[in-house]
Amino acid sequence: MRRDKFCILFMLTAAALGITACSLFSNESSLPAWHAEELGEGRPVCSECHEDQIRGTMKPYASFNHSREFIKSHRLYAAREAYLCATCHKGSFCNDCHVNELEIKPPIKLGNRPDRELIHRGDYLTLHKIDGKIDPGSCYKCHGRTNNEKCVVCHR
Amino acid sequence: MKKIGCFLSLALVSLSPLLACAADIGLSSTTLFRFEQRAVPGFDKQTAIPATEFLRADLDKAGDGNLSLHIYGWERVDLADKSVNEGSNDGDLAYGYLAYRFPTANAEVKGGRIIVREGVAAEQIDGVSARADLQKGFTVAMFGGAPVKLDRDTKSKGDYIVGGRGSYRLKGKLELGVSGLQEGGVIINTAGTAKDNRQLVGGDIWLSPFRMLELNGHTFYNSATAGIAEHSYLLEFKPSKIISVSTTYNEQRFENYFTYSNVRSLFNPDNRGEVKSYGGGIGWTVATPLEMTADYRHYSRTSLVSTDNNGNSDRYGVDARMTFLDRKLRSGLAYHRSDGAANFNSYNEVRGYCLYDSGRYVTSMDAIGQFYKNSIFNRKEAFELIASGGYRILQDLLLSGEIGYGRNPQSSDDLRGVLKLTYNYEYTNKGAKK
Repeated sequence: MRRDKFCILFMLTAAALGITACSLFSNESSLPAWHAEELGEGRPVCSECHEDQIRGTMKPYASFNHSREFIKSHRLYAAREAYLCATCHKGSFCNDCHVNELEIKPPIKLGNRPDRELIHRGDYLTLHKIDGKIDPGSCYKCHGRTNNEKCVVCHR
Repeated sequence: MKKIGCFLSLALVSLSPLLACAADIGLSSTTLFRFEQRAVPGFDKQTAIPATEFLRADLDKAGDGNLSLHIYGWERVDLADKSVNEGSNDGDLAYGYLAYRFPTANAEVKGGRIIVREGVAAEQIDGVSARADLQKGFTVAMFGGAPVKLDRDTKSKGDYIVGGRGSYRLKGKLELGVSGLQEGGVIINTAGTAKDNRQLVGGDIWLSPFRMLELNGHTFYNSATAGIAEHSYLLEFKPSKIISVSTTYNEQRFENYFTYSNVRSLFNPDNRGEVKSYGGGIGWTVATPLEMTADYRHYSRTSLVSTDNNGNSDRYGVDARMTFLDRKLRSGLAYHRSDGAANFNSYNEVRGYCLYDSGRYVTSMDAIGQFYKNSIFNRKEAFELIASGGYRILQDLLLSGEIGYGRNPQSSDDLRGVLKLTYNYEYTNKGAKK
């Protein structure tokens, strides 16, 4: 019963938002489909060139500087502003790690890019037995419902 | 796979006149030939030569200039011993969709195989999604379709999925978001006989009361089990351009977090329990070419049902990154220690790398070593060395090769070679390289 209520409430909210949204669209022009200037190598520091706030996100450019902390916690940003990520990154860039079925471990697929923060470097087959006990929640994010065809070979 | 294939075929045929005049075209092809020799004690030596093709195509500015088509997928063929336990060939369409971007409100509609990232949802679906900014700082996003199932099992995902996110933004200070999803017909027991709906609701926040301070995080609630699934928060303090201090707090309650896993032997919600972790980090740009970070995190795992893995663990370490010659030369050194609870193993990890990209030539070296507290299969250490070299035959065409050698508890010798041909063509030379 509780679930039915949830479903009905969700649908009604979605419908109400959908209907009202049409008359409430922002008049502000959209972000460009693609960053206007070619970016150099390495991690971009947005605030080196931009000072104000990013149109449409209402956040300062400095919030999106690709610091190590930003890269480690990028899921928090992507969950809100994936459309902003897409102005500089093709979807395939994300798919180097985030996919339903991962063909090649990221550090092997990109073995010539040791500067990228890629997960599971070295002998992770051994390490996962240690890390997985300490924090199985961190495994679940990527392997709990997707990308676990190699996991089920042992974990049946 | 067949459905999306039909959809894409129909879409391509019906929209071919519009797409034919696309102003921007992007094509990326990466062909990898891997040579792997594996020597596992007690088993025959194996030689695997998988050939994998990753292909991406983007047709932008089609139709009235706002329509675009995006496709990305891969296909693998094993040329010698099987590289994985499944068949000797495999493939996957990661995404393939049509998108229409509106000139205002960052409004966009997508249809096809899409990847949705909106609040509580991180899904690959065959369906549609739409988002837009509204007036007075509000935003709205919605999606719906069929979850893309794993090849191994048609029951690995539900029958349908719908969801969305709405948020309110106060310029430069605050964003508050609410999101939810419902996935119908998800298997919720190990035998695969019981089905239920996956229902998650999430709240997220970005708060910056003043420019130096940012709070960023979310809480997810499982409305089917009526319990908190996850808290994840990051507080960052940036007193100057060269120093940042951050603290994090994460908590996952397995009863509500693992509920919909399709590997229930590994992620078993019935064991209940939780992991709480907190920690912090300091980032310091010592000088323009040198950036240093130190991080620490404490983990506490508890369960009243399965107590074997209960305990407190710590992970800490330092990283140094250096860039020279206008970022053409990039290198790094790192040390981390994972100090496991009393009944877990512990290890030290050391890594160093160097990359030089002259434009025409690309070379890199990467070395990593792990040293365990307790022996694993009579070994107390593992290491891997990877050397790579590449030559740009044309501006868009790179031929590169890598050779890697390692020894670890799983295999006495692990020799691997990769030959890679990368073609990256963009009709408009703008934005990031990828």
